[in-house]
Amino acid sequence: MSAAIETSGLTKVYRTWWKRREVRAVEDVSLRIEPGATFGLLGPNGAGKTTFVKMLLAVAHPTAGSARIFGLDCRCPEARRPVGYLPENHRLPSYMTGRGMLDFYAALSGMEARRRRKRAGELLALMGLEKWGGTRLSKYSKGMLQRLALAQALMHQPRMLVLDEPSDGVDPVGRRQIREILRELEAQGVTIFINSHLLAEVELFCREVAILHRGRVALLGKVRELTAGKGYKLTAAGVPDRLGEELRRRAVAAASRDALLELQFPTREEANQALDLLRREGCEIESLVPTTSTLEEVFMRTVNA
Amino acid sequence: MRRFKTPVTAALLWDTVHEAFLRWVFWGLFGLSTTLMLFFLFLLRIDLVEGARATVSLFGQSTGRAVEVAKLVRQVHAGVAAFFYMFAMFLAVFASATLMPAALERGRVELLVAKPLRRWHLLLARYGANLLVVTLNTCYLIGGVWLIFGWKAGVWHASFLYAIPATTFMFAVLLTVVALVSVLSESAALATMVTFALMVTSPILAQHQLMMKLLSSEWSRNLWKGLYYALPKFYDVGSLNMDLVMGRAVSEWAPVWSSAAFGVVVLAAAALLFQRKDY
Repeated sequence: MSAAIETSGLTKVYRTWWKRREVRAVEDVSLRIEPGATFGLLGPNGAGKTTFVKMLLAVAHPTAGSARIFGLDCRCPEARRPVGYLPENHRLPSYMTGRGMLDFYAALSGMEARRRRKRAGELLALMGLEKWGGTRLSKYSKGMLQRLALAQALMHQPRMLVLDEPSDGVDPVGRRQIREILRELEAQGVTIFINSHLLAEVELFCREVAILHRGRVALLGKVRELTAGKGYKLTAAGVPDRLGEELRRRAVAAASRDALLELQFPTREEANQALDLLRREGCEIESLVPTTSTLEEVFMRTVNA
Repeated sequence: MRRFKTPVTAALLWDTVHEAFLRWVFWGLFGLSTTLMLFFLFLLRIDLVEGARATVSLFGQSTGRAVEVAKLVRQVHAGVAAFFYMFAMFLAVFASATLMPAALERGRVELLVAKPLRRWHLLLARYGANLLVVTLNTCYLIGGVWLIFGWKAGVWHASFLYAIPATTFMFAVLLTVVALVSVLSESAALATMVTFALMVTSPILAQHQLMMKLLSSEWSRNLWKGLYYALPKFYDVGSLNMDLVMGRAVSEWAPVWSSAAFGVVVLAAAALLFQRKDY
């Protein structure tokens, strides 16, 4: 079965031609996200999260590597048909009404007129905007625009949602409402990809996360395992491929960065066993540190490492 | 997921026309056109003198010279067509310069290009709808004035209506420049400036035969000729428009073909750059 998202060595380098300066926004990112997953992409500001999402949806073009959505090359328009997208810092056309906006973007996704009308009514009600459907967007508050933009992403009943900072500008009640909607979609088997720097939000909702730092994947794993009680993070260099594979299977999370292999183990015994294996193969141990339980701590450790 | 054959192009066209209506661009154009028509309706009088001869008066002041009605109407038509060619063009470019980049501004374009359609489709639909709005306005303005003249003078020179395709054609060419500058800069101000600059330099470049004698160096003559042949011939097509309206034979169609070629190349470049651009 095709992955919902599969990237291979995805890289984006921005070049300023007058200064001949290079900015490596995303570097060699290879991810595989299965259909039905709820995946969070985390990272500090400027880590390359939004650029990664933009490349996925052909809003920006990769310098190297490839990305596939449900098996189709992301550059092909058909690959984007099953995707609902909520961009960061969107500017919805202020001359449109809420209903008109939903109708227009759904038409571009290939939805027929009668279904659009019905679905727009349902989603306006779901977002608590049923009374605002006929009002111009210039009259909407930021939170209302964000909820409407989410409704736009849901209009054509996508198989995958790509949400870039979905709760930006939304109050706590609205955030909870959005989370409930997403939970329902998850139950329906919709793949949900969230790009956010709100760690608590991702921890509450996503099952898997990747932490992007300076354009590279610094950590990848299941939230439950990364945050399951105290554990140990082992970092080693010069790990042979075969042993690396073996250790990745044993670890709850693993990542490769700058020729270093980072492994997360839930218990001291498992960390010690891994340490023995690495020593036996003559690998260099960079560090062995205890880990704590919140995603925020995992994040801080990864980013500060 | 079921796939529907949906009128994506219709949605894109409708969105642009809708935006033109709601941003008052459409109403502004039609309002000014209507004002002009009212001007001709109430302030310009053609009085018949001795049957086939007439005088023309503006603001109640007569030229005092009676000339043949048909000739007079044709002359007035030509003057009006030339005025509209300039006036409608400036107005249309000014109006369009906000419509084209609006869809390409950050925060809005991301949502559009992430939809399952090709970028050139998006750009051409925007271009087409913009052209449609201006064509409708040109038909309204020139058609309306033609009806007013016909009704007031009883002379129906259909050649006046050639001003519609001539004006629309030149606008279509200039709109490609607006599209290209919009893709490159997303700036309505710059799009307007570049297009107006082309319109203003066209009559100067059109003096190429005189300039060939005046310019001393070979490279400057070649540069002048190169610019004249490469850039859209706003002035020459305007002269051609006058010839058509006056019922004179058109001596040269080259300005039309070369301007059309310019438009095609610029629009293709805009589509290509839009396709490759990162947002």
